[in-house]
Formats: sequence, structure tokens, C-alpha cells
Amino acid sequence: MGIIENKRIDEKLYFRKLDSGLNIYFMPRKGYMQKYAIFATDYGSNDNHFIPIGEREPIKVPAGVAHFLEHKLFEDEEMDIFDRFSRLGTNVNAYTNANQTAYLCSTTANFYESLQLLIKFVQNPYFTDSNVEKEKGIIEQEIRMYEDSPNWRVYSNCLNGMYVDHPVRIDIAGTVESIQDIDKEVLYQCYNTFYNPSNMVLFIAGDLSFERIVDIVEGTERKDLRKGIEEISRVYPNEPVGIQKQYIEDRLATSIPLFSIGIKDNNLNMMNRELVHKDLVTNILLEILFGDSSEFYNDLYGKGLVDNSFTSYFTGKVDYGYSLVLGQSNEPDRVFDKVLKHIKATKKTGISGEAFRRIKNKNMGGFLMGLNSLSLISSYFIDNYFEGFLFIDVLDILDSIEIGDVNARLVDDIDEETMVLSVVNPMS
Amino acid sequence: MALNCDRIEIDKGIALNLIPTDKFKSNILSFYFTLPLDRREVTSNALLPLVLRQGTRELTTSLKIQRRLEDLYGCNLSVSVDKKGETHAIRFTIEGPKNSYIGDSNYIKGMIGLLKSIIYDPYLEDGTFSQRYIEQEKEILKRLIEGKINDKRRYAIYRCIEEMCRDEKFGLYPLGYIEDLEDIEARTLYEHYMKLLYRAPLEIFYVGDYDDELKQFMIDDLRFAKDDLIQNERELISKGSQTKNMVYEDMDINQGKLVIGYRTGIPYEDDLYNGLMVASDILGGGPTSKLFRNVREAESLAYYIGTSIYRYKSIMMIDAGIDFDDFERVIEIIRCQIDAMKSGIFTNEDIDISKKSIKASMESIHDSAFLISEYFFSKVLTNDSRSLEESIRDVEKVTRDEIMEASNDMNVDTIYFLRHSGDGGMDNGNY
Repeated sequence: MGIIENKRIDEKLYFRKLDSGLNIYFMPRKGYMQKYAIFATDYGSNDNHFIPIGEREPIKVPAGVAHFLEHKLFEDEEMDIFDRFSRLGTNVNAYTNANQTAYLCSTTANFYESLQLLIKFVQNPYFTDSNVEKEKGIIEQEIRMYEDSPNWRVYSNCLNGMYVDHPVRIDIAGTVESIQDIDKEVLYQCYNTFYNPSNMVLFIAGDLSFERIVDIVEGTERKDLRKGIEEISRVYPNEPVGIQKQYIEDRLATSIPLFSIGIKDNNLNMMNRELVHKDLVTNILLEILFGDSSEFYNDLYGKGLVDNSFTSYFTGKVDYGYSLVLGQSNEPDRVFDKVLKHIKATKKTGISGEAFRRIKNKNMGGFLMGLNSLSLISSYFIDNYFEGFLFIDVLDILDSIEIGDVNARLVDDIDEETMVLSVVNPMS
Repeated sequence: MALNCDRIEIDKGIALNLIPTDKFKSNILSFYFTLPLDRREVTSNALLPLVLRQGTRELTTSLKIQRRLEDLYGCNLSVSVDKKGETHAIRFTIEGPKNSYIGDSNYIKGMIGLLKSIIYDPYLEDGTFSQRYIEQEKEILKRLIEGKINDKRRYAIYRCIEEMCRDEKFGLYPLGYIEDLEDIEARTLYEHYMKLLYRAPLEIFYVGDYDDELKQFMIDDLRFAKDDLIQNERELISKGSQTKNMVYEDMDINQGKLVIGYRTGIPYEDDLYNGLMVASDILGGGPTSKLFRNVREAESLAYYIGTSIYRYKSIMMIDAGIDFDDFERVIEIIRCQIDAMKSGIFTNEDIDISKKSIKASMESIHDSAFLISEYFFSKVLTNDSRSLEESIRDVEKVTRDEIMEASNDMNVDTIYFLRHSGDGGMDNGNY
């Protein structure tokens, strides 16, 4: 067992690696009523081309398998999982994104039993032809719900425009057509490959005892799974530097055009502190360029070109990354032009030291306040963990950032040639 | 660990509610002004905080306000207008990291001062609001109002309530109406602002750590002489259905949105209201509820389906996202499940699960400073003197008979279906 402490934020992280290869992390939160557990695998919708465990040749699976699998793990031969959690007074849920699938439960009572149940159901898949078939109708409705969301569509089309071959361009849930090809065999194949304990992590937060947590997990986890499996071999296409399409337009029932400007990042293959550093630097940069306190935003707002839905952020993973500037406007083309000009102009002048100091301050406060929420802590943890970093030290990296880092990132990596504009216009 | 609230009447119509806790990394301060929901005022109420956020006497632009917030280690400022039953609540909130993380003991006072100046000391030109800010924010509000169609699920619920409560204040849209925006100008909005400051009851909530010095500071600093206070009235609750409406609306969408509104007529003051909470949860509260099991799990007809109750008006809404063709099938299942509730076809296990679920969500209020403020505010609005533990115990005491009795009070009022264009025009009819 080990303990990592960060005195500055007054938090500790306990950890332990079990013989099965599973890593457990625990953050004590004194005085919290809720107790939170998240059991996640380093497997998301992007992992659709890989060599299954015990085989030699890579296979391609239909779009939407990781998400489908997440739904189906809630199936069990003997018990109704939702029912069992409900009887304990525990909320259970799950999510799939491009890189991870996570199962979480939160409760104010009966935590240890809930934890047991969480481990059990995630480690014991039960797929049958009929239960797989049944899920297709439910997921079809989920996909249709997203199809009707202008915010989702403008984002998803933007990814589609930026990426040529990378699977991040495909919707997480797949399409109504692609999910028809999913059957129990492919689900087992993906499950056996990606749900090995060594590819997973368990994170827990709350007013709890770590010894007891470890005991429960050790006593509950499956012992028959292959130990210490070799690195999973995933096949990623060679994504070109350039973009697929510079302008993507769609129509939906919406009141005003929505836009998403994407800037593809080609400075990739970082891990650990380097990746987190890049992430923080880029987000500070975007905030300085386009944030609520920027001259740029206030000028466009005053002209009625954008409103307070205008926002920007950077998402960076090992093998892809992008900056987004999004909002709603009656003239998305003009906003795009102005964004482009603003980037070019700032590359020449550099960012101001005063703005840098303010935004850095803001980010420190924002990180501290984020620590209030157990669900936010958990998703931070999982995100950073699979990138090889423990989020408890984010503030230290933030501290180390200098204005030169931000200017360098702007000049070296923000490439106007990789900018795309996605617009969703009202129906008529 | 019980939540304590030290409630101090610091001036006529102004209560300061102090909730001490040291478990969060931040402190939060909220002002809630309340006015009766009124068609003639909702739009002004919604516009006011947007305009106030544009500038203070000292910080004359929103840019300057934003930069001050960033200097204060990224304090969050948020404003909202919300419908609490037939009361319109106008909220101003500031939240910032605790002094101890920043090493500046005066930090909290800077935060309080900033929020106060946004509310009480706005940027004025010739003794009234800036016409430019007004016009700019009218356009923003217009977009927000028009934007209600963007989230189809919320839009459908709002529309069902609007149809159902057409002749009641509760049917009003909290952000107001585009046609009412035109008449608002600097002078009229300023008059309305004076009414809010001087006549609207105000509840102030502070959740975080404080000492006697800070407490006294707040008591002295947050006073304001109000006069001729406006009283918010208790909502009218009706038992039977009012309209018996069936409303279809068309939009270019891929998934239909079904919303059914029920009247229960069980006021929150009544013990039976606890029975209604449990009944609604058994019916559509979570993944083990009757509707989720039967509509989603058994027949794969929906991704989401659930119930929610609106405390102040004692109405219940069921909403689901479904295929256009499954409309009648889903309605039929819902009808059967409600009938089952009425005749007591639910297990003791169901009751137990729902009670635990309600308990867990009430207990989790403890873990969010914002929810703590909202919780104590709702207690003020409903004159509820029970502690959170007592409220939980009241839910735990609910009997099978009470659940059946509450279920028998669920009367369908309005069925609303948002469907794909081309399936027929907008046709509203009685049934």
C-alpha cells in the first residue's frame, strides 16, 4: 500500500496493486455523506481495431461496440443488477467515451456491499442472443435522441471534418445501422480483451476505510482471469496532418445557427506530465484568446455576433487532440474569419503577461473548487490515470507553467491550416 | 451530521442564513429575491440580472467584472431566474476558494463586496440603466427564449406544463416572452429594479466557514431598508383535471417526445405528500421503476422514461423519448402501470427501494454547498420547519395505503406529443 499526499490541497491518495493486476486508488473525504466508486477500463469507442486476446490477427468491430457492451454488462443470469443496487439504496450508472468505459455507483449507505456488487457485475458478463437483440431498440432510441440535439450534432460533425481516418470521427454509440451487426460473439471478444484487471482501475472517494476496501475487492474479484496480460495491441490508422473537410453544414430544428470551430492538434504522442502540461497550457491559451475576459469576446458580444454560449476548450489525448471554439451566431462565417484573424494577430504580438497571470489564477481556483464534487474528482482521476498521471498533482504542474509555454504553443502548434467550421442551421 | 442554519432577520424582509461547514474547498454566497409570478413582470425579472451583470459603478463593463472575478482566484458568478411554484426567484451567486488556500484573510470580503456591488450599485447613465446595455441584453434574452426549442426534452415538458396550466401562473415561462421585450426600456426596467430592491423579500445564504467577526460583518454589511413588502402567495392546488387536453406539435425531429401531466391535488403541507413522493418513485423514479422496466427493459420502446413531481403545484409529469409509431403503445403501458399503482399492485420491496432512493438523494444535499442553499431556500418558501432528518423520517413512515391513496389522486390532465413534421398539422383536441 502506498500513500501520495499533496499538502497544498490538503488531500491524500492511497493506492494498492492487487495480484490480479488491478490497481485501486482511494481518496478519503471526511464529512461527505456520499461514497463514490468508479470502475473503469482503458477501452472506448476509438478501440475498434485490435488483436483480440489469444489471437494473432487484428479484427475490426462495428462502430458502437464499446457503448453497447457498457449497456449489456448490466445483464446477469441470476439477478437484476439495477434491482440489487436499488435495494441497497445505491445509484448505479455507466458511461462510455472515446477512450474509456466507466461503471460507477454512489451511495450514502451500504457502500461496501455496493462495491462488491459493482465488481461482480462488471467482471461477470452474460450475453445472450436475445438480450443483445433487445438492447438494439433501446440504443436506437438513444442514438435518435442525440440526432435531435443540435449541440451534439455540431460537435460530432466538427470531429468528422477534422479527422480523416482516426476513429474519434465516429459517434460513440455508432449508428442505427452499425449496431445491427453487433452480436454476443463480438461482445465477448471485446470484453475478454479489454476488461482484464490489468487494463482497468478502481477509484473510490468518500469517508471510508482503505483496508476494508482492499479486503472487499480482494475477496470479490475474479481469480480465474489471466494475469498480467501482455500489452493490448490496438491498431490506429495513420491519421494525416491535414483535415477531411473545411466546412460542414447540417440542418436541424434549432432557433439560431450553432457553430463549432475545430483546430486539429498535430503535436501528439505525449504521456503523463507532458500531456497534462500541454492540456493546461492550451486551455489557458484558449481562455486568454476567447474567454469571458478577453477583448475579443467582449467585442463580438457587443456587436451581437456571439452570445454567452460562446466558449472554447482543448481536449488532448495521446494520439489525437483538438481545440474547439463554439457557440451560436447568426453569422458563423464572420465569427470564423474573426477567430482566424485573431489567432494570426496574436501570434505576432504574443499574449499579455497580465492576462496570463489572471487566467492562471482563475485555473487554480477552478481546480480547487472542482475538488468539492466527488463525481468531478472521479472523472478527473480516470481521465488522467490512463494517461499515466495522478490528478492530485495538477496544481503543481499549473504552477510551473510560464508565459513562454503559452506563446510557444500558440506559435508552434495552432495551425490555421487545420481549422474547420461546423454549422448547424435552423430548418427554415 | 446534521445541517444547521443560523437564520437572522437582519432587516425587514431580509434574512441572512448562515450554514457553517468546513468540508468544502470554497465558500458560497447567494441572494434570492422573490416576486409573485406575473405575466406582466416575468420578462423584466429575467432581463434584470442580465443587465446588472453588465457593469457596476466601479467596474463599468462586464469585461471589468470578469477580470475582477479572475483576480479573485476565479470566483464563479452566476445569476438565474427560476420558477419556484408560482413564485419567481431571482438569484445572484458568487463562489470562491477559501481564504486558507489563497493566504489572504480579506479575500472573502472582496468576494462579498463584488456581489453586493453587482446587485446594489449598477452602472448607470443619467440616473438610469444604460440604454445600450438594455438593447444588447434584450437581444440575448430573446435568443435564450427562442432557444428553448433546442433541448427537445425540456421543451416538451415546458410545453406540456404551459398547455396544462394555461389559466394559471404556473404556466408562465420563467424567461419571459419575446413580445413583452419590445416595451422594456431603461426607465421602466429601472423602476422595476427599484421595486425588486425595496419591496421584494430577500433571502441570503452563506455556506462555508466563518467566525464571529465575519458573521457580524455580514449582518452589518448586508442590511437594506425595505418597505411595503410584497407577499408571495401560496399556489392554488386543484385535484381534478382542468383541461383534459391532448396536444400534438410538429417539429423536424427524429424522436418523438411524449409528456403526460397529472394533477394530484395533494399539497406539500399534507402528510400524504410523502406518500405521493414514494408513489411517483415506484412508478418512474429510477431503473427499477415500473415504467422503466415495462417501457424500456421489457419492450425496448424508450431510452429514457420517468416521472417527476412539482412540489409547489402538486402536479406530476411523465416523460419519454419514443418512436413516433409507438405513441399509443406507450400510453397504454403507462395507463396500465398507473392502474396497478392505484390498485396496490406493487411489492413491499418496491416501497423499500423507493424510500431508500429518496433518502439517498435527500442525504446527498449535504455534499453540495449550492444544494444546501437551495434546500434551505425551499424550506423558507414552504414554511417547512422540519430538519432534513425529520423529512427523511416522514418519508420512511409512509405506508402502503398512503401510496395507494396518493396514486388514486393522480388524474391525467394533459397529454402532449412532439412529433415529426408531416404526421399531421398541429391539432389540439379534447378527449
